[in-house]
Amino acid sequence: MTANSKISTRSEPPRGAITRLAFHLAYKNLMGAGLRTWLSVGILSFVFVLIIFYQGYVEGFYQNSIDENIAWEYGGGQLLYKDYDPYDAFTLQDGHGKIPATDTKDLVPILIRQASIYPQGRLMPVLVKGIEVAQNTVKLPTQLLQQSSAEYPVIIGKRMAASVNLKKGDQVMLRWRDKNGSFDAGNVTIAGIFDTDVPNVDIGQIWMPLKKLWAMTDMKGQATLFIANNNYEQKNLPKWKFKTQDELLTGIRALEKMDKITGVIIYLVLLAIAMLAVFDTQVLSIFRRQQEIGTYISLGMTRKQVLGLFTAEGCMHSILGVLVGFIYGVPIFIYFTRQGIGTPAAVDNLGISAGKRIFPDFSPELIIGTAVLIIVSTTIVSFLPARKIAKMNPVDALKGKLQ
Amino acid sequence: MENKNIISIEHVTKRYPVGDGEFTALSDINLQFKKGEFSGLVGPSGSGKTTLLNIMGSLDSPTEGKAIVMGRNVAELSHKESAQLRNLHIGFVFQIYNLLPVYTVFENVEFALLLQNINASRRKKMVMDALEWVGLQDMADKKPSKISGGEGQRVAIARAMVKRPEIVLADEPTANLDAKNAHTIMKTMRQLNKELNTTFLFSTHDEKVMGYLNRMIHLEDGKVRKDEPIEKPQYA
Repeated sequence: MTANSKISTRSEPPRGAITRLAFHLAYKNLMGAGLRTWLSVGILSFVFVLIIFYQGYVEGFYQNSIDENIAWEYGGGQLLYKDYDPYDAFTLQDGHGKIPATDTKDLVPILIRQASIYPQGRLMPVLVKGIEVAQNTVKLPTQLLQQSSAEYPVIIGKRMAASVNLKKGDQVMLRWRDKNGSFDAGNVTIAGIFDTDVPNVDIGQIWMPLKKLWAMTDMKGQATLFIANNNYEQKNLPKWKFKTQDELLTGIRALEKMDKITGVIIYLVLLAIAMLAVFDTQVLSIFRRQQEIGTYISLGMTRKQVLGLFTAEGCMHSILGVLVGFIYGVPIFIYFTRQGIGTPAAVDNLGISAGKRIFPDFSPELIIGTAVLIIVSTTIVSFLPARKIAKMNPVDALKGKLQ
Repeated sequence: MENKNIISIEHVTKRYPVGDGEFTALSDINLQFKKGEFSGLVGPSGSGKTTLLNIMGSLDSPTEGKAIVMGRNVAELSHKESAQLRNLHIGFVFQIYNLLPVYTVFENVEFALLLQNINASRRKKMVMDALEWVGLQDMADKKPSKISGGEGQRVAIARAMVKRPEIVLADEPTANLDAKNAHTIMKTMRQLNKELNTTFLFSTHDEKVMGYLNRMIHLEDGKVRKDEPIEKPQYA
């Protein structure tokens, strides 16, 4: 056998074995590097946990908001009178119509009128909302209206109660106008105060039996809107337009999207910082470990294999980071998922439907997606400086000559 | 000893770019080495010893001429073929040992075998045999930082020999060792040369190393000044 044929007849390891070898060596190098490795791993795991935590919090915040808005205000959708625009107070005067004789099953009628109350002698404009007391489509405790024997029983939210300094059983003067514009007034009695996370059904509003409001305003059979329950099948009712749950939630979803974009920017910044650390470690490794690279090449590794080794090292930083993040992050996630996170009191006054405690939503998709994102980004960032190795002259590497 | 040349250097010139000009490290070198030789390139610093050794090890290629190693012209080898040549046929021993610091002695020696996809049990036997050749079988689990310089160089020899290469290239292997360790290292390599018929090529200016060589090639300013066979080496 000639020397020449001897070279070509020896076997080389299959690709899978080379990859396993790269990860095996990378693992040894990482463990051997000690503190340097654990600093990078620490940063990556922190970023991993922080991204998930922030995204989970935003997800939980808005999911809570959506759930509460559906439960208290939107139900399975709303049917609005054609002239009524919930965002335009001037449409309230004429934005009501006769309740259709048919096809109103699974709908809760609500009539909205403008009025004033005089708590402690002060004048305060309010919206009076008449609601069918026997409803159970939304969580408003309308049974309290049914149970009350007062002439004008009303329920109000805790924010409203706080702002006008009223408590259950108190009376306050209400001044309203009937359908012809004539003023009338009477004392309404607070039959109950409800606690809701949805300021839209609370601030500046009082709720009373629909029939009572009809009688007070001489507007029998009139409604401004209907709240549909989940069984409602959409029908074509002239003069009424149906807004689906999704349409009603557009505003919240737009806010959620905006917050998520902010979140993405924040986590891109965090990721960039972590990637900078990995990049820095890699660059440092390549220049500090030139002789090691030269040794690998002299021992028979191809430049591609050395490149693979360094890329695998970078990738393993992120795998370790994710694993470490899992170890201390999962108990944190479980704790906050169960206990929730208290919402600052200031948020309550911003008109945002935030619960008193936000229960973050750490979905498997979020966790797996973040892990994949970190691993892929780290691998790419590790590969970029490692490409230098492919151009390295082994003699210069052995001498540690590269600048 | 076989007559066939294991390494053939034909009109090899090596120039490096320096600033706007060039530095000639080797100039029209012609040498042949047969299997089983225990030879040395000797000369002062800058004479071209290491450059020639690197070319023979397929770590570098000549600017002109041919370096035929194991029947292959190193200048014509791809990166992959060069790596394969080094992995399978050439062992290197460096002046500063170049042991991989995060690996144990065993793992350092095992490294080249991992690249050859040899199974674990055979690998272990080959590594332990190599460590036995250099008398370090009890140090297998130690890290390079926990062993002496002499032991480190013996590990490097075991690493070079474990794959039973045809050629071992040793670049100033005793430069960092005291006299006692230098002799131990040289005796070990001489013994392996005799037992396994491995070709050893040294680059050195250490007289202790020269005392073991069968052939000394004197280099000066990149040229061969003298190529002398030594019938009776001083320490043979």
